[in-house]
Amino acid sequence: MLAVTESMGSLTLSHYIMVSALLFVIGLVGFVSRRNLIVMFLCTELMFQGAAIAMIAFGRFHLDVSGQVFVIFILTVAAAEAALALGLVVLLYRRKQTLSAEVWCDLREHTD
Amino acid sequence: MVSAWMAPFTLYSACVIGALALYLLVRPGPRGAKAFGIILGLGALAWLTLESIKSTVDSTDRPSVFFFIFSLIAIASAVRMITHHRPIYSALYFVMVVLSSAGLFLLLEAEFMAFALVIVYAGAILITYVFVLMLSQQTPLGDKVEHQPEYDRIPREPAAAAMVGFVMLALLTDMAFNSASKIPAANTVREAQRQAWNELEQMPKRFEERVLEVEPEFIFPAQKALHILTDESGAYVLGAVGEAGSVEQRVDLPIEAMPENVQHVGWALVYKFPASLEVAGIILLLAMFGAVVLAQRQIELSEEEKLLAAQARQSKAAKVPSDSEGGAA
Repeated sequence: MLAVTESMGSLTLSHYIMVSALLFVIGLVGFVSRRNLIVMFLCTELMFQGAAIAMIAFGRFHLDVSGQVFVIFILTVAAAEAALALGLVVLLYRRKQTLSAEVWCDLREHTD
Repeated sequence: MVSAWMAPFTLYSACVIGALALYLLVRPGPRGAKAFGIILGLGALAWLTLESIKSTVDSTDRPSVFFFIFSLIAIASAVRMITHHRPIYSALYFVMVVLSSAGLFLLLEAEFMAFALVIVYAGAILITYVFVLMLSQQTPLGDKVEHQPEYDRIPREPAAAAMVGFVMLALLTDMAFNSASKIPAANTVREAQRQAWNELEQMPKRFEERVLEVEPEFIFPAQKALHILTDESGAYVLGAVGEAGSVEQRVDLPIEAMPENVQHVGWALVYKFPASLEVAGIILLLAMFGAVVLAQRQIELSEEEKLLAAQARQSKAAKVPSDSEGGAA
Protein backbone atom coordinates (compact mmCIF):
# COMPACT_ATOMS: atom_id res chain seq x y z
CA MET A 1 0.00 0.00 0.00
CA LEU A 2 1.49 3.26 -1.09
CA ALA A 3 -0.19 5.29 1.55
CA VAL A 4 0.83 3.66 4.82
CA THR A 5 4.43 4.24 4.10
CA GLU A 6 7.00 3.15 6.54
CA SER A 7 10.61 3.43 5.52
CA MET A 8 11.94 0.50 3.54
CA GLY A 9 14.14 -0.70 6.32
CA SER A 10 17.59 0.53 5.52
CA LEU A 11 17.43 -0.67 1.95
CA THR A 12 18.19 2.02 -0.54
CA LEU A 13 17.10 2.51 -4.09
CA SER A 14 20.58 1.39 -5.13
CA HIS A 15 19.99 -2.15 -3.84
CA TYR A 16 17.08 -2.58 -6.19
CA ILE A 17 18.86 -0.87 -9.08
CA MET A 18 21.77 -3.24 -8.58
CA VAL A 19 19.52 -6.32 -8.75
CA SER A 20 17.70 -5.02 -11.80
CA ALA A 21 20.98 -4.15 -13.52
CA LEU A 22 22.35 -7.62 -12.81
CA LEU A 23 19.26 -9.31 -14.25
CA PHE A 24 19.39 -7.05 -17.30
CA VAL A 25 23.07 -7.75 -17.90
CA ILE A 26 22.69 -11.50 -17.48
CA GLY A 27 19.90 -11.35 -20.05
CA LEU A 28 22.15 -9.37 -22.37
CA VAL A 29 25.02 -11.85 -22.03
CA GLY A 30 22.60 -14.69 -22.72
CA PHE A 31 21.22 -12.91 -25.78
CA VAL A 32 24.68 -12.38 -27.23
CA SER A 33 26.05 -15.81 -26.42
CA ARG A 34 23.22 -18.28 -27.00
CA ARG A 35 22.49 -19.58 -30.49
CA ASN A 36 19.05 -21.07 -29.96
CA LEU A 37 16.37 -18.67 -31.24
CA ILE A 38 13.88 -19.45 -28.48
CA VAL A 39 16.45 -19.06 -25.72
CA MET A 40 17.47 -15.73 -27.22
CA PHE A 41 13.89 -14.52 -26.89
CA LEU A 42 13.74 -15.86 -23.33
CA CYS A 43 16.78 -13.72 -22.59
CA THR A 44 14.97 -10.60 -23.82
CA GLU A 45 12.20 -11.49 -21.38
CA LEU A 46 14.85 -11.56 -18.65
CA MET A 47 15.87 -8.04 -19.66
CA PHE A 48 12.22 -6.95 -19.43
CA GLN A 49 12.17 -8.38 -15.94
CA GLY A 50 15.16 -6.28 -14.91
CA ALA A 51 13.51 -3.17 -16.33
CA ALA A 52 10.30 -3.95 -14.47
CA ILE A 53 12.10 -4.20 -11.12
CA ALA A 54 13.79 -0.85 -11.78
CA MET A 55 10.44 0.75 -12.67
CA ILE A 56 8.73 -0.47 -9.51
CA ALA A 57 11.68 0.53 -7.31
CA PHE A 58 11.69 4.03 -8.79
CA GLY A 59 7.93 4.25 -8.36
CA ARG A 60 8.30 3.29 -4.72
CA PHE A 61 11.14 5.78 -4.32
CA HIS A 62 9.06 8.67 -5.59
CA LEU A 63 5.88 7.32 -3.94
CA ASP A 64 4.09 7.35 -7.26
CA VAL A 65 2.14 4.54 -8.90
CA SER A 66 3.14 5.50 -12.43
CA GLY A 67 6.00 3.01 -12.22
CA GLN A 68 3.58 0.18 -11.60
CA VAL A 69 1.36 1.33 -14.46
CA PHE A 70 4.35 1.23 -16.76
CA VAL A 71 5.07 -2.34 -15.69
CA ILE A 72 1.57 -3.19 -16.93
CA PHE A 73 2.61 -1.81 -20.32
CA ILE A 74 5.85 -3.81 -20.17
CA LEU A 75 3.73 -6.92 -19.63
CA THR A 76 1.64 -5.97 -22.66
CA VAL A 77 4.68 -5.53 -24.86
CA ALA A 78 6.19 -8.78 -23.58
CA ALA A 79 3.01 -10.68 -24.38
CA ALA A 80 2.79 -9.18 -27.87
CA GLU A 81 6.45 -9.91 -28.46
CA ALA A 82 6.09 -13.50 -27.30
CA ALA A 83 3.13 -14.09 -29.60
CA LEU A 84 4.78 -12.60 -32.69
CA ALA A 85 8.31 -13.84 -32.11
CA LEU A 86 7.21 -17.38 -31.36
CA GLY A 87 4.99 -17.41 -34.45
CA LEU A 88 8.03 -16.36 -36.47
CA VAL A 89 10.22 -18.98 -34.81
CA VAL A 90 7.74 -21.71 -35.70
CA LEU A 91 7.76 -20.53 -39.33
CA LEU A 92 11.55 -20.44 -39.46
CA TYR A 93 11.73 -23.88 -37.90
CA ARG A 94 9.41 -25.30 -40.54
CA ARG A 95 11.62 -23.90 -43.26
CA LYS A 96 14.96 -25.32 -42.09
CA GLN A 97 14.16 -27.84 -39.30
CA THR A 98 16.59 -26.23 -36.86
CA LEU A 99 16.43 -23.53 -34.19
CA SER A 100 19.96 -22.32 -34.70
CA ALA A 101 20.19 -18.59 -35.35
CA GLU A 102 23.21 -19.10 -37.57
CA VAL A 103 21.44 -20.87 -40.43
CA TRP A 104 19.78 -17.54 -41.13
CA CYS A 105 23.03 -15.62 -41.34
CA ASP A 106 22.61 -15.21 -45.10
CA LEU A 107 19.96 -12.60 -44.30
CA ARG A 108 22.62 -10.18 -43.15
CA GLU A 109 24.37 -7.62 -45.26
CA HIS A 110 27.20 -9.03 -47.35
CA THR A 111 30.58 -7.62 -46.49
CA ASP A 112 33.31 -9.00 -48.65
CA MET B 1 21.42 12.30 0.49
CA VAL B 2 23.85 9.91 2.03
CA SER B 3 27.40 9.67 0.78
CA ALA B 4 28.50 6.94 -1.60
CA TRP B 5 26.63 3.67 -1.24
CA MET B 6 29.66 1.60 -2.06
CA ALA B 7 33.19 2.49 -3.06
CA PRO B 8 33.54 2.46 -6.86
CA PHE B 9 36.60 0.25 -6.57
CA THR B 10 34.72 -2.44 -4.62
CA LEU B 11 31.79 -2.37 -6.97
CA TYR B 12 33.85 -2.59 -10.12
CA SER B 13 36.11 -5.35 -8.85
CA ALA B 14 33.09 -7.38 -7.78
CA CYS B 15 31.63 -6.82 -11.24
CA VAL B 16 34.85 -7.91 -12.96
CA ILE B 17 34.92 -11.10 -10.89
CA GLY B 18 31.27 -11.66 -11.71
CA ALA B 19 31.93 -11.20 -15.43
CA LEU B 20 34.81 -13.69 -15.26
CA ALA B 21 32.58 -16.19 -13.46
CA LEU B 22 29.86 -15.71 -16.05
CA TYR B 23 32.38 -16.30 -18.83
CA LEU B 24 33.59 -19.53 -17.22
CA LEU B 25 30.00 -20.73 -16.79
CA VAL B 26 28.82 -19.89 -20.30
CA ARG B 27 31.88 -21.34 -22.03
CA PRO B 28 31.81 -25.07 -22.70
CA GLY B 29 34.64 -26.51 -20.69
CA PRO B 30 35.79 -29.06 -18.18
CA ARG B 31 33.92 -29.57 -14.93
CA GLY B 32 36.72 -28.02 -12.88
CA ALA B 33 36.44 -24.71 -14.72
CA LYS B 34 32.68 -24.68 -14.18
CA ALA B 35 33.06 -25.37 -10.47
CA PHE B 36 35.63 -22.58 -10.26
CA GLY B 37 33.18 -20.30 -12.06
CA ILE B 38 30.41 -21.15 -9.59
CA ILE B 39 32.69 -20.42 -6.63
CA LEU B 40 33.85 -17.15 -8.19
CA GLY B 41 30.28 -16.08 -8.93
CA LEU B 42 29.04 -16.91 -5.45
CA GLY B 43 32.03 -15.08 -4.01
CA ALA B 44 31.29 -11.96 -6.05
CA LEU B 45 27.63 -12.03 -5.01
CA ALA B 46 28.56 -12.56 -1.34
CA TRP B 47 31.03 -9.69 -1.52
CA LEU B 48 28.41 -7.35 -3.01
CA THR B 49 25.88 -8.44 -0.37
CA LEU B 50 28.28 -7.90 2.52
CA GLU B 51 29.34 -4.49 1.21
CA SER B 52 25.76 -3.38 0.79
CA ILE B 53 24.90 -4.53 4.31
CA LYS B 54 27.95 -2.75 5.68
CA SER B 55 26.88 0.49 4.09
CA THR B 56 23.65 0.34 6.09
CA VAL B 57 25.00 -0.98 9.35
CA ASP B 58 25.04 2.33 11.20
CA SER B 59 21.34 2.90 10.70
CA THR B 60 18.92 1.70 13.34
CA ASP B 61 16.69 -0.55 11.27
CA ARG B 62 18.08 -3.67 9.68
CA PRO B 63 17.54 -4.33 5.99
CA SER B 64 14.93 -6.95 5.24
CA VAL B 65 16.51 -10.37 4.85
CA PHE B 66 13.88 -11.27 2.25
CA PHE B 67 15.35 -8.76 -0.16
CA PHE B 68 18.63 -10.67 -0.18
CA ILE B 69 16.96 -14.07 -0.38
CA PHE B 70 14.78 -13.09 -3.33
CA SER B 71 17.49 -11.29 -5.23
CA LEU B 72 20.02 -14.10 -4.76
CA ILE B 73 17.47 -16.65 -6.04
CA ALA B 74 16.65 -14.38 -8.99
CA ILE B 75 20.27 -13.84 -9.99
CA ALA B 76 21.32 -17.46 -9.51
CA SER B 77 18.38 -18.77 -11.58
CA ALA B 78 19.05 -16.16 -14.26
CA VAL B 79 22.63 -17.40 -14.55
CA ARG B 80 21.49 -21.02 -14.67
CA MET B 81 18.93 -20.06 -17.27
CA ILE B 82 21.47 -18.72 -19.73
CA THR B 83 23.94 -21.55 -19.08
CA HIS B 84 21.64 -24.55 -19.25
CA HIS B 85 21.99 -26.49 -22.48
CA ARG B 86 18.38 -27.68 -22.56
CA PRO B 87 16.00 -24.88 -23.55
CA ILE B 88 13.07 -26.30 -21.60
CA TYR B 89 15.08 -26.03 -18.37
CA SER B 90 15.99 -22.46 -19.32
CA ALA B 91 12.28 -21.68 -19.49
CA LEU B 92 11.66 -23.30 -16.10
CA TYR B 93 14.53 -21.36 -14.51
CA PHE B 94 13.00 -18.23 -15.95
CA VAL B 95 9.79 -19.05 -14.06
CA MET B 96 11.97 -19.09 -10.93
CA VAL B 97 13.26 -15.59 -11.79
CA VAL B 98 9.70 -14.38 -12.27
CA LEU B 99 8.56 -15.81 -8.94
CA SER B 100 11.41 -14.26 -7.00
CA SER B 101 10.97 -10.89 -8.64
CA ALA B 102 7.30 -11.10 -7.68
CA GLY B 103 8.65 -11.45 -4.14
CA LEU B 104 10.70 -8.28 -4.63
CA PHE B 105 7.58 -6.49 -5.88
CA LEU B 106 5.79 -7.51 -2.68
CA LEU B 107 8.63 -5.97 -0.66
CA LEU B 108 8.17 -2.79 -2.70
CA GLU B 109 4.46 -2.74 -1.75
CA ALA B 110 3.33 -3.37 -5.32
CA GLU B 111 0.96 -6.21 -4.51
CA PHE B 112 -1.13 -5.98 -7.64
CA MET B 113 1.86 -6.10 -9.95
CA ALA B 114 3.35 -9.04 -8.04
CA PHE B 115 0.28 -11.17 -8.65
CA ALA B 116 -0.19 -9.91 -12.19
CA LEU B 117 3.39 -10.87 -12.90
CA VAL B 118 2.91 -14.42 -11.63
CA ILE B 119 -0.36 -14.87 -13.51
CA VAL B 120 0.61 -13.24 -16.79
CA TYR B 121 4.30 -14.09 -17.00
CA ALA B 122 4.60 -17.47 -15.32
CA GLY B 123 1.09 -18.50 -16.23
CA ALA B 124 0.64 -17.33 -19.80
CA ILE B 125 3.77 -16.12 -21.55
CA LEU B 126 6.05 -18.87 -20.29
CA ILE B 127 3.51 -21.52 -21.19
CA THR B 128 3.56 -20.18 -24.75
CA TYR B 129 7.33 -20.54 -24.76
CA VAL B 130 7.14 -24.09 -23.48
CA PHE B 131 4.58 -24.99 -26.15
CA VAL B 132 6.73 -23.61 -28.93
CA LEU B 133 9.77 -25.39 -27.53
CA MET B 134 7.89 -28.65 -27.64
CA LEU B 135 6.63 -27.95 -31.16
CA SER B 136 10.01 -27.18 -32.57
CA GLN B 137 12.49 -29.45 -30.92
CA GLN B 138 13.83 -32.69 -32.21
CA THR B 139 13.79 -35.47 -29.70
CA PRO B 140 17.27 -35.72 -28.24
CA LEU B 141 18.87 -39.13 -28.47
CA GLY B 142 19.71 -39.18 -24.78
CA ASP B 143 20.13 -37.21 -21.60
CA LYS B 144 23.81 -36.40 -21.95
CA VAL B 145 25.15 -33.05 -23.08
CA GLU B 146 26.61 -34.58 -26.25
CA HIS B 147 23.14 -35.63 -27.39
CA GLN B 148 21.89 -32.06 -27.47
CA PRO B 149 21.99 -30.21 -30.79
CA GLU B 150 25.24 -28.42 -31.42
CA TYR B 151 23.70 -24.92 -31.30
CA ASP B 152 22.57 -25.49 -27.70
CA ARG B 153 25.91 -26.77 -26.52
CA ILE B 154 28.39 -24.33 -27.96
CA PRO B 155 27.82 -20.64 -27.25
CA ARG B 156 28.83 -17.94 -29.67
CA GLU B 157 31.59 -15.60 -28.48
CA PRO B 158 31.27 -16.06 -24.69
CA ALA B 159 34.25 -13.80 -23.97
CA ALA B 160 32.85 -10.93 -26.02
CA ALA B 161 29.46 -11.44 -24.38
CA ALA B 162 30.94 -11.25 -20.88
CA MET B 163 32.89 -8.11 -21.83
CA VAL B 164 29.79 -6.40 -23.24
CA GLY B 165 27.89 -7.39 -20.13
CA PHE B 166 30.51 -5.95 -17.83
CA VAL B 167 30.64 -2.61 -19.69
CA MET B 168 26.87 -2.42 -19.60
CA LEU B 169 26.82 -3.22 -15.87
CA ALA B 170 29.37 -0.49 -15.18
CA LEU B 171 27.20 2.02 -17.04
CA LEU B 172 24.01 0.94 -15.31
CA THR B 173 25.43 0.92 -11.80
CA ASP B 174 27.24 4.21 -12.18
CA MET B 175 24.20 6.01 -10.84
CA ALA B 176 23.57 3.33 -8.26
CA PHE B 177 26.52 4.40 -6.18
CA ASN B 178 26.55 8.04 -7.18
CA SER B 179 23.21 8.73 -5.61
CA ALA B 180 22.24 6.67 -2.63
CA SER B 181 19.31 8.06 -0.77
CA LYS B 182 17.08 6.53 1.82
CA ILE B 183 13.79 5.79 0.22
CA PRO B 184 11.12 8.14 1.48
CA ALA B 185 11.69 11.47 3.17
CA ALA B 186 9.07 12.49 5.72
CA ASN B 187 7.52 15.34 3.78
CA THR B 188 7.15 13.25 0.64
CA VAL B 189 5.27 10.63 2.64
CA ARG B 190 2.81 13.29 3.76
CA GLU B 191 2.54 14.58 0.23
CA ALA B 192 1.82 11.04 -1.02
CA GLN B 193 -0.83 10.58 1.66
CA ARG B 194 -2.44 13.85 0.70
CA GLN B 195 -2.54 12.66 -2.91
CA ALA B 196 -4.03 9.34 -1.86
CA TRP B 197 -6.82 11.07 0.07
CA ASN B 198 -7.34 13.28 -2.92
CA GLU B 199 -7.88 10.17 -5.02
CA LEU B 200 -10.46 8.87 -2.57
CA GLU B 201 -12.30 12.16 -2.92
CA GLN B 202 -12.62 11.58 -6.65
CA MET B 203 -14.33 8.21 -6.17
CA PRO B 204 -17.63 9.55 -4.77
CA LYS B 205 -19.35 6.26 -4.09
CA ARG B 206 -16.42 4.76 -2.25
CA PHE B 207 -15.92 8.01 -0.36
CA GLU B 208 -19.52 7.96 0.88
CA GLU B 209 -19.22 4.31 1.88
CA ARG B 210 -16.06 4.96 3.87
CA VAL B 211 -17.51 7.92 5.71
CA LEU B 212 -20.70 6.05 6.59
CA GLU B 213 -18.63 3.12 7.82
CA VAL B 214 -16.94 5.35 10.38
CA GLU B 215 -19.92 7.52 11.23
CA PRO B 216 -23.31 6.03 10.29
CA GLU B 217 -25.10 9.16 11.43
CA PHE B 218 -23.31 11.41 8.98
CA ILE B 219 -25.70 13.44 6.87
CA PHE B 220 -24.41 14.35 3.46
CA PRO B 221 -25.16 17.94 2.61
CA ALA B 222 -27.29 18.09 -0.50
CA GLN B 223 -25.61 20.89 -2.35
CA LYS B 224 -22.08 21.27 -1.17
CA ALA B 225 -19.36 18.89 -2.24
CA LEU B 226 -17.36 17.51 0.65
CA HIS B 227 -13.60 17.59 0.79
CA ILE B 228 -11.07 15.56 2.69
CA LEU B 229 -8.80 17.76 4.74
CA THR B 230 -5.54 16.71 6.33
CA ASP B 231 -3.66 17.94 9.36
CA GLU B 232 -1.00 16.62 11.74
CA SER B 233 -3.25 13.94 13.24
CA GLY B 234 -4.58 12.57 9.96
CA ALA B 235 -7.45 13.12 7.58
CA TYR B 236 -10.96 14.25 8.36
CA VAL B 237 -14.15 15.38 6.69
CA LEU B 238 -15.99 18.46 7.80
CA GLY B 239 -19.61 19.07 6.92
CA ALA B 240 -22.32 21.44 8.08
CA VAL B 241 -26.07 20.88 7.82
CA GLY B 242 -29.16 22.60 9.06
CA GLU B 243 -30.06 26.26 9.06
CA ALA B 244 -27.01 28.18 7.83
CA GLY B 245 -24.69 25.44 8.89
CA SER B 246 -25.89 25.28 12.47
CA VAL B 247 -24.94 21.65 13.02
CA GLU B 248 -21.27 20.91 12.47
CA GLN B 249 -20.17 17.38 11.89
CA ARG B 250 -16.66 16.11 11.70
CA VAL B 251 -15.49 12.61 10.81
CA ASP B 252 -11.93 11.45 11.30
CA LEU B 253 -10.99 8.96 8.63
CA PRO B 254 -8.91 5.96 9.70
CA ILE B 255 -5.82 5.08 7.70
CA GLU B 256 -7.58 1.93 6.40
CA ALA B 257 -10.01 4.12 4.47
CA MET B 258 -7.20 5.13 2.15
CA PRO B 259 -7.31 3.58 -1.35
CA GLU B 260 -5.30 0.38 -1.63
CA ASN B 261 -2.63 -0.58 -4.12
CA VAL B 262 -5.03 -2.07 -6.67
CA GLN B 263 -7.22 1.01 -6.55
CA HIS B 264 -4.20 3.25 -6.94
CA VAL B 265 -2.96 1.37 -9.97
CA GLY B 266 -6.38 1.17 -11.57
CA TRP B 267 -7.00 4.84 -10.94
CA ALA B 268 -3.67 5.87 -12.44
CA LEU B 269 -4.22 3.55 -15.40
CA VAL B 270 -7.58 4.98 -16.45
CA TYR B 271 -7.20 8.53 -15.18
CA LYS B 272 -3.59 9.45 -15.93
CA PHE B 273 -2.79 7.23 -18.92
CA PRO B 274 -6.02 6.52 -20.83
CA ALA B 275 -4.36 6.95 -24.23
CA SER B 276 -1.56 4.53 -23.35
CA LEU B 277 -4.16 2.02 -22.21
CA GLU B 278 -5.87 2.22 -25.61
CA VAL B 279 -2.54 1.86 -27.39
CA ALA B 280 -1.75 -1.22 -25.30
CA GLY B 281 -5.06 -2.72 -26.37
CA ILE B 282 -4.28 -2.02 -30.03
CA ILE B 283 -0.81 -3.58 -29.66
CA LEU B 284 -2.33 -6.75 -28.23
CA LEU B 285 -4.97 -6.91 -30.97
CA LEU B 286 -2.40 -6.47 -33.73
CA ALA B 287 -0.12 -9.03 -32.11
CA MET B 288 -2.99 -11.49 -32.15
CA PHE B 289 -3.66 -10.83 -35.84
CA GLY B 290 0.04 -11.10 -36.58
CA ALA B 291 0.38 -14.39 -34.76
CA VAL B 292 -2.61 -15.86 -36.57
CA VAL B 293 -1.31 -14.76 -39.96
CA LEU B 294 2.22 -15.98 -39.22
CA ALA B 295 1.30 -19.32 -37.78
CA GLN B 296 -1.28 -20.50 -40.27
CA ARG B 297 0.02 -23.36 -42.28
CA GLN B 298 0.55 -22.77 -45.96
CA ILE B 299 0.88 -26.09 -47.75
CA GLU B 300 0.67 -26.20 -51.51
CA LEU B 301 -1.34 -29.28 -52.51
CA SER B 302 -1.45 -30.63 -56.03
CA GLU B 303 -4.80 -31.49 -57.67
CA GLU B 304 -4.33 -35.18 -57.00
CA GLU B 305 -3.68 -34.66 -53.29
CA LYS B 306 -6.74 -32.43 -53.02
CA LEU B 307 -8.86 -35.17 -54.54
CA LEU B 308 -7.49 -37.75 -52.13
CA ALA B 309 -8.12 -35.50 -49.14
CA ALA B 310 -11.70 -34.89 -50.27
CA GLN B 311 -12.28 -38.62 -50.65
CA ALA B 312 -10.89 -39.27 -47.19
CA ARG B 313 -13.22 -36.63 -45.74
CA GLN B 314 -16.22 -38.17 -47.53
CA SER B 315 -15.54 -41.70 -46.41
CA LYS B 316 -15.08 -40.43 -42.83
CA ALA B 317 -18.40 -38.59 -43.01
CA ALA B 318 -20.10 -41.70 -44.34
CA LYS B 319 -18.58 -43.78 -41.57
CA VAL B 320 -19.84 -41.68 -38.68
CA PRO B 321 -23.63 -42.15 -39.13
CA SER B 322 -23.24 -45.89 -39.70
CA ASP B 323 -21.31 -46.09 -36.43
CA SER B 324 -24.07 -44.34 -34.54
CA GLU B 325 -26.65 -46.66 -36.07
CA GLY B 326 -24.65 -49.63 -34.94
CA GLY B 327 -24.57 -48.18 -31.44
CA ALA B 328 -28.36 -47.71 -31.44
CA ALA B 329 -28.98 -51.27 -32.60
